Amino acid sequence: MLWTLIRHELLMNLMTFRFLVAVIASMSLVLAGSIVLTDNYERRLASYNEDFQRHQEGNFSGKTYSSFMPSLDRAPNPLSLFNQGLDKRAKNSLQIKIGEIPFLWGDVSRNTGFSNPFRYLLADIDLVSIFQILFSLLALVFAYDAIAGDRENGTLRLILVNPVGRGLVVMSKYLGAMLCLTLPLLMSFLLALLLQLQSNAIHYGADDFLRIGGIFLTTVIYTSTFYLIGLFISSMIHRPATSLIVSMFIWVVLTLLYPNVSLFLVNRFIQTEERVKQADQAIDQILEQFYRTEEAPGDPFEDSPLLKGSKSGGGSSSYTHLKKNITFIPDESEIHVPTVKAYFQELTAGRIRTANKVWQIRETTFSETYIRKSSIARNALRFSPAGLYHLSTEALAGTGLARMQDFFKAGRQYRETVLDYFYDKKAFSSRQWFASDKGPVRWDDAPRFSYQPPSVLEDASNRALRDLLLLFILNPMLLMIIFAVFSRQEV
Amino acid sequence: MLWHIVKRELFEQVNSLRFALAMLLIVFLMLVNAVGHIDEYKTRQAEYRQQVSAYSARLEQNSNNLYKHVLDGPGELYKKPSPLSFCAHGSENNLPKFASGKRAGWGTHYNVSGIWRLKYSGFPSIKAKDIFPVFLKIDWILIISNVLSFLAIVFTFDAISGEVEHGTLRLTLSNAVARRTVLTGKFLSCLISLGAVFMSGVLVNLLLLYLSGTLQLNAEEWSRIGGIFVVGLLYIAVFIALGFLISVLVNNASTSLVILLLIWVIWVILVPSMLGTIMSGLNQPSIRRGPSPVYFRRSGLQERYVARGLEDEAPTRERPPTPATLLWAEFLNEEAREGARLQKAYLNAQINQIQIAREFNRISPTAIVQYAVESLAGTGFQRHLNFLKNAERYADAFNDFLISADRADPDSPHVPFVREGMSDKPVSFESIPKFQDRVRLGDAFKGAMLDVMLLLLFFVVLFATAHVSFQRKEI
Repeated sequence: MLWTLIRHELLMNLMTFRFLVAVIASMSLVLAGSIVLTDNYERRLASYNEDFQRHQEGNFSGKTYSSFMPSLDRAPNPLSLFNQGLDKRAKNSLQIKIGEIPFLWGDVSRNTGFSNPFRYLLADIDLVSIFQILFSLLALVFAYDAIAGDRENGTLRLILVNPVGRGLVVMSKYLGAMLCLTLPLLMSFLLALLLQLQSNAIHYGADDFLRIGGIFLTTVIYTSTFYLIGLFISSMIHRPATSLIVSMFIWVVLTLLYPNVSLFLVNRFIQTEERVKQADQAIDQILEQFYRTEEAPGDPFEDSPLLKGSKSGGGSSSYTHLKKNITFIPDESEIHVPTVKAYFQELTAGRIRTANKVWQIRETTFSETYIRKSSIARNALRFSPAGLYHLSTEALAGTGLARMQDFFKAGRQYRETVLDYFYDKKAFSSRQWFASDKGPVRWDDAPRFSYQPPSVLEDASNRALRDLLLLFILNPMLLMIIFAVFSRQEV
Repeated sequence: MLWHIVKRELFEQVNSLRFALAMLLIVFLMLVNAVGHIDEYKTRQAEYRQQVSAYSARLEQNSNNLYKHVLDGPGELYKKPSPLSFCAHGSENNLPKFASGKRAGWGTHYNVSGIWRLKYSGFPSIKAKDIFPVFLKIDWILIISNVLSFLAIVFTFDAISGEVEHGTLRLTLSNAVARRTVLTGKFLSCLISLGAVFMSGVLVNLLLLYLSGTLQLNAEEWSRIGGIFVVGLLYIAVFIALGFLISVLVNNASTSLVILLLIWVIWVILVPSMLGTIMSGLNQPSIRRGPSPVYFRRSGLQERYVARGLEDEAPTRERPPTPATLLWAEFLNEEAREGARLQKAYLNAQINQIQIAREFNRISPTAIVQYAVESLAGTGFQRHLNFLKNAERYADAFNDFLISADRADPDSPHVPFVREGMSDKPVSFESIPKFQDRVRLGDAFKGAMLDVMLLLLFFVVLFATAHVSFQRKEI
């Protein structure tokens, strides 16, 4: 019986004008969106590759230990085509320094493959935001007359004359419409994938396909949520035209207004500047203190240089004693080398201590200000299905804040490994720290950086699951309410 | 007769559920906008004043020697914030807040350095606070372009189709009423009721801002607000006309709403955010990273001058000036001119790309209304271009001042802009021209003109089509 009803509903829906519109609208928007986004991604990837090549050549070319300052790059995520999240906006490179712990904090100029900084005036879009707007609207358009329309036509009464439970009627309407909505959605996803795979730049592995599958499933759940909201309105309101108007108002509020208004207010009223300014001052103090000790007497390169007659190679900067590279030390200055070694050992130890102190302040401040603010914003978004959808797809695509932090965490770990490596080699107290006259440093056994993003399961279970469950739970809840309302109603 | 129809329709509109919902929505959003902008302008104004005083302090500090000004330039020229940013946010976060007039950044033989020039830098960098999720700022533009257009559709979708369905239209037309009177009457009533909703929102918004002391506007700024209101009404009229057109063409009220909504979603929400990206992708300025073309140009230029014996002799303070001094002066001037020209060319390429994207975006009235309101409010891209023009004009004035100040010094050899050829006396701080960023009301209205015309065109076309189809419709 259920199957007969579903088939009936499905056929009724498939033949309608709105189904045609749904297919055409979603396909054409996804087509246009995919082309734009793929082009954009290719550009970003090219820019990344250029940087990566350059850094790859430069990272292990230093002749002394002190010149080791590798730059690491974060590859753009192809799944940012689905949900761009922070992938384009967050810092995408970091530099390992002895005196600084890498961090998402700090000013860097934007480097996203575009040479035109005015480009940020133009709005950006991703596939998820197309689905978010279009399919919620379509779901409501499919739902507004599901019950109200049948009631007005009198067909509802006709159906109920047969020995069919009311629950069954609702269920069949729901399943029929969902099948009908999933069809254009599936076609759009396939089209998007097809277009993306045409590009040479995008390679999806099994992990990525699972992620895309997850995003598809989330979109289905999201669409279903809106369908049920529409069905609920349709069961409450007797005239289909009124039911459509009410649905549309609710749609505008849930997808367009609520997310933006809540973020606008959170952004305006959660203040962070004061706290950040304090932290900046504290950091400045620490740094100043360090510079003062650094400038204290004993600097072997200032007033009366100890290594008289030595020559420096290119690329060394004398001011901060970073990247020191002395290529020749005359014999008469040789006796001073141990003093210089001791000086650098002391200096580097101080630099590492300072870095740790600064990092402590930064980490706490960051989590108490920006992270807190953005998590308040995220919590505010969770009150709307559109927000839940956005957050869970962001986690599935791996473009959220957590993922950006993962990269920097990996960078910090790499810095620790490098320090350990230097300790093992006794690099800080070695002659090769500042001089390459006895031969340059060999980097053969130096640790290499590798960043393995978390697998789809980790991302799904730790980052997406909560929002996905919240979104999912809305469905049975709404369904139950609709049953309750509909079974008590007079037809 | 027309008035009679308007009155009847208006009465019906105002008593409907949608009018109540619309009123609620707009007033609420306008309240949110006002609450979000309380004291916001004050903070930015204070920041701006601080920046300007830092700028004057720098000018004053350099006044002990004229040549310091030649080398260092006037410093950072700040863009004046607009008091109407609550009307149009204008993505000011993505635009530079200043143009910098600073050292050229190169030096060569005999202690000769490049003279100051205007640089169009200052684009905001990635900051830690950027981890905040992206959202649309709740400004008047958003309220007008997204919400009021949506309301216009909801108000009009059944204007004709609903009455056809119920048969009331036939009844109306059986009286001695012309069809165009019916259509015009319906149109006016929709415009009046939506205008009333818009007006109430605007009044609530301005009242709250006024009471909080944020709003201190002069006559000019009030006329801008008036302009924005009119543009808003025009935009609403476009969507009312669109609603009528579809409502005339489709006989079923619900179908007409469904069609309207899809047109709305694509035209208002999706097109403006996609088309710009497409167009800018096609039109990249050719220059990317690496040493700037300015650098290459300079080394080429320098080689040419070196061949003419530039580095053989130092410039001197001798009078009359030696050939070496004159040659150095020529080199410095040409280098500065070339540098400025290349900077400008690159800036123009960037601006051009955005202009093209904006032209294409104008197929969507949402983009049109955004550009028009931004122009009127004095924020956004158009305003930034005005600011850059002001800065360039000032740069010329500053250079003219340097030359005239040098002329006024009888001890100077008058060979700008080599150090040895110019006065090294102090200049009076008062005589230095100060940068004042101003937006003239005329410019603002002129900037909005094209967009207003386009909106009018949209309206006329849509309304005329609706009118013609209504005339031919069988009822």
